[in-house]
Amino acid sequence: MERLDDEGQWIVMMGFIVAVSIFFLALVINQATLVGQTTAEGVLEFPKSEIRDLRSEVFTLIDTGDVYDSAINASLHQDILVLEETRKNTIVNYSVNKINMSGTGIKYNLTKLHFNNGVTEYDATVHY
Amino acid sequence: MVDDSAQLYTMEGIAAAFVILATVYLVAGTTSIYTPGDSHITDMQLEVLGNDVLLVMDTPVNGTVNSTLHTNLYEWNGTAFGEDFSRLLNERVDGTSDSLSYNATVSYRKEADGSVANYAFNTSGIQTGYEQAVRVTRLATIPGKPTGAPADFDTREQVVMLEVLIWRD
Repeated sequence: MERLDDEGQWIVMMGFIVAVSIFFLALVINQATLVGQTTAEGVLEFPKSEIRDLRSEVFTLIDTGDVYDSAINASLHQDILVLEETRKNTIVNYSVNKINMSGTGIKYNLTKLHFNNGVTEYDATVHY
Repeated sequence: MVDDSAQLYTMEGIAAAFVILATVYLVAGTTSIYTPGDSHITDMQLEVLGNDVLLVMDTPVNGTVNSTLHTNLYEWNGTAFGEDFSRLLNERVDGTSDSLSYNATVSYRKEADGSVANYAFNTSGIQTGYEQAVRVTRLATIPGKPTGAPADFDTREQVVMLEVLIWRD
C-alpha cells in the first residue's frame, strides 16, 4: 500500500481558516442590510414631528399667557387634548408652572409635556 | 483491496464545497427584495416631507408677524393655503414639479357639546378613494371665529388642527 502523504498539512489548515474567516465576513454583510433597514425604520417611526408640534403649540400658549395654573385657559387645554385624541388617537397633556426664584431674579416656565400614541410614550420637562 | 490513499484531499474537497455553498447562500440572502409590505418606508418619507412643509408654513419670517399657516387659517383662506402648500410640497431642486396631491381638512372642537367637527379646507383635485395617502397634522391657535368659517364654529379663541392627506399620483 502506498503511504499516505502527510506533508504540507498546515497549508490545508490555513486555507480552511481563511475560508472560515471569509464566511464570517459574509455573515456580517448579510446582516448589514437588515440592521440598516430596521434602524432607519425605527428612527422614522418615532413621532418627532407630532411631539414638536405639541411643544411649539404649548410654547405659543405660554407666550400668550394662556396656560398658567392660576389662570389656565381650560378651553384651549381641552381643544388640544380632544383634537389629538379624536383625530390622531394620541393621548397628550401639558402643565405649566411659572417659577420665580426669590432673590435671584431668575424666571422660567416649568413645562411638563406628556405624549402617548400607543407606540411611543414620551414625557418631557422643559424649563422654557 | 480498497485504495485509501489521498483521503485528506477528499476531506478538503468536502470542506471547501461546504464553505462555498454556505457563502453562496449568504450572498444570495444579502439582497433584499422590495415587497408591498415595505411600502410603509416610502410612506414615512412622505410624512417627513409633509411635516416639513407644514413646519415651514407655520414659521413666521420675523417676530412681529404671524406665520403663513396662521394667517391662512385665521382668514379661512383655503385657496391661499393650497397654493403655498402645493408649491412647497412639489418643489424640486431642478425646477420641475413633483406629482404629489393633497387634501386639507380643519378640525375644531365645539365648546357646547365637546364634539369635534371637520371642514374641507382645500384639495388639489378629485379623489377616487384608492389613494395611498399619509396624514400630517399641525395645531394652530386662532384668536376668534374667522369670516367664512362654518356656522357651528365657536367665536372664542381656540386651537384647531389642520390635517393634510398627501399621496403620490
